[in-house]
Amino acid sequence: MAIATQLILNGIIAGAIYALVASGFSLIYSVTKFMHFAHGAVLALGAYLMYSFAVILGLNFWLAILLTLVCSGFAGVVMDQLVYKQLRKRKASGAVLLIASIALMTLITSLILAFWGADVKTVPTVNPVFDFLGARITLTQIIIVVVSVVLLLGLWLLMKKTKLGKAMRAVADNKDVAMTVGINPERIYTYTFIIGSFLAGVAGILIGIEQNLYPQMGLSLVIKGFTGAVIGSLASVPGAVLGSFILGLVENIGIWWLPSGYKDAIAFVLLFIFLLFRPSGLLGVKVREV
Amino acid sequence: MAFINYLIHLAILIGIYSILTVSLNLAVGFTGLLNMGHVGFFGIGAYTSALLSLAGFPIWLSILCGGLLAMISGLLLALPTTRLKGDYLALATLGFTFIMGSVARNWTDVTRGALGIPGIPKIVKGNPEFLVIVLIIAAITYFVFWKISKSRFGKTCEAIRDDELAAKMLGKDTFKHKIAALGISAFFAGIGGALFAHYITFIDPSIFGIGDLILLFSMLIVGGLASVKGSAIGTIILFLLPEPLRFIGFPSSILGPMREIIFALILLLILIYRPKGFFGRVDLA
Repeated sequence: MAIATQLILNGIIAGAIYALVASGFSLIYSVTKFMHFAHGAVLALGAYLMYSFAVILGLNFWLAILLTLVCSGFAGVVMDQLVYKQLRKRKASGAVLLIASIALMTLITSLILAFWGADVKTVPTVNPVFDFLGARITLTQIIIVVVSVVLLLGLWLLMKKTKLGKAMRAVADNKDVAMTVGINPERIYTYTFIIGSFLAGVAGILIGIEQNLYPQMGLSLVIKGFTGAVIGSLASVPGAVLGSFILGLVENIGIWWLPSGYKDAIAFVLLFIFLLFRPSGLLGVKVREV
Repeated sequence: MAFINYLIHLAILIGIYSILTVSLNLAVGFTGLLNMGHVGFFGIGAYTSALLSLAGFPIWLSILCGGLLAMISGLLLALPTTRLKGDYLALATLGFTFIMGSVARNWTDVTRGALGIPGIPKIVKGNPEFLVIVLIIAAITYFVFWKISKSRFGKTCEAIRDDELAAKMLGKDTFKHKIAALGISAFFAGIGGALFAHYITFIDPSIFGIGDLILLFSMLIVGGLASVKGSAIGTIILFLLPEPLRFIGFPSSILGPMREIIFALILLLILIYRPKGFFGRVDLA
């Protein structure tokens, strides 16, 4: 019984992490209509910046977090301006933007590798363990779940209630119509990248504290976040969050039967099945290009 | 003498990678299928041939089996995925590459997992002799794909890329053509992978990595889509470009990432400023 509780708890923790990645990813996808794979690289960059500010430079913990989040948002905007905007100008297809984003992903991963080296790094923290219905959960894991729920609620409120959120949804829905009512899509894209990359930065900080840092960490996480988004619905943030929790639970409960090394394989198989049979995801309505 | 050995080594790698790029072009450039599973086929060929030859199979039979198994996986992958378009096809095939990597890491009884497979037999003892073999196979590949590009099959593939509906209305079985294109392309990727395994004599799951994917797409797009000549030249250009770094004296821990940075930058620049590459006849759509 304790094992079952532990697996479900692990599933929820993993789901919260994937949801943080997936929400930013699907926010950017829904507004800009392309898959920003380098989102994972922003996350890894966030984790390494946090490590540099807090451990190497020894800055105050909260100041380090603030600097990391600012840098993450900035990194997202720079990518958009230098690469994606140029491609949009010549009306490049989603496929071209996807390849560009994978190139950006390897570019940043290699830069991290060159600057910080290949060895695994850890952010030392005090991390007491609590008992929850016979299962173990650490303080950072509780923080991860709480922060992710709070941020996702905040994102939901932003999208529903604020003028910016409404403009973002308008561009997501129909860019040309949004332009006729005076919304500048390029400006909305910039805000979208700031918010999405901020979420990636938060995910990077939390994951960096909870797990170890290695240069390729962004790739495996963005694949998980992306898979969660496809399961729920790529084009809707609540869908992406739902899908992420499903993915976290399925992966962790799946290792009841399979060796734990197959966790990733479970995710890929789910991704494959959904891409083939329900590319619009559980919550999606429109079936795109079949 | 060391310099000549280095040139031979470089030429062998260029030969092997040109097989990959030329064959990838059939799927991506000619047929318009954004296939990111090529690295997966490459790895399947490498693992199959390595394992079979270590189990005592004749080396050439192992290499052929590597190509055939890659082709079968290509056909199986194509059956459900070719109805997807653009970025969705790209992701499904990318997912395939990741699944293969995961299998290589976890099916430890067969693949030895992350430890990799050492001691893969060489085809011939010396590198110059091996270079001749690679060049012959690369020339055959080049010739086959040049023939395909001129054939009725190749023209139909291009018609499917430009307007699938129109091709269908002219009575072409577009489904069969797409599957065949992916299968043929996968076969040569598998052969390339097998040659790579028998040259390096060691493989591990990192062969399914995303770095090689970026390298392949850089070579493909720099050379140009739907141009067999372009793919061969793109491969040569991209392999030679980062080589001067070696003589500047960077440590190898920096050299690896530097190469990847250069490949990624070139790919980004070419996508932004010259999406047709040098000899490309079409844009990536």
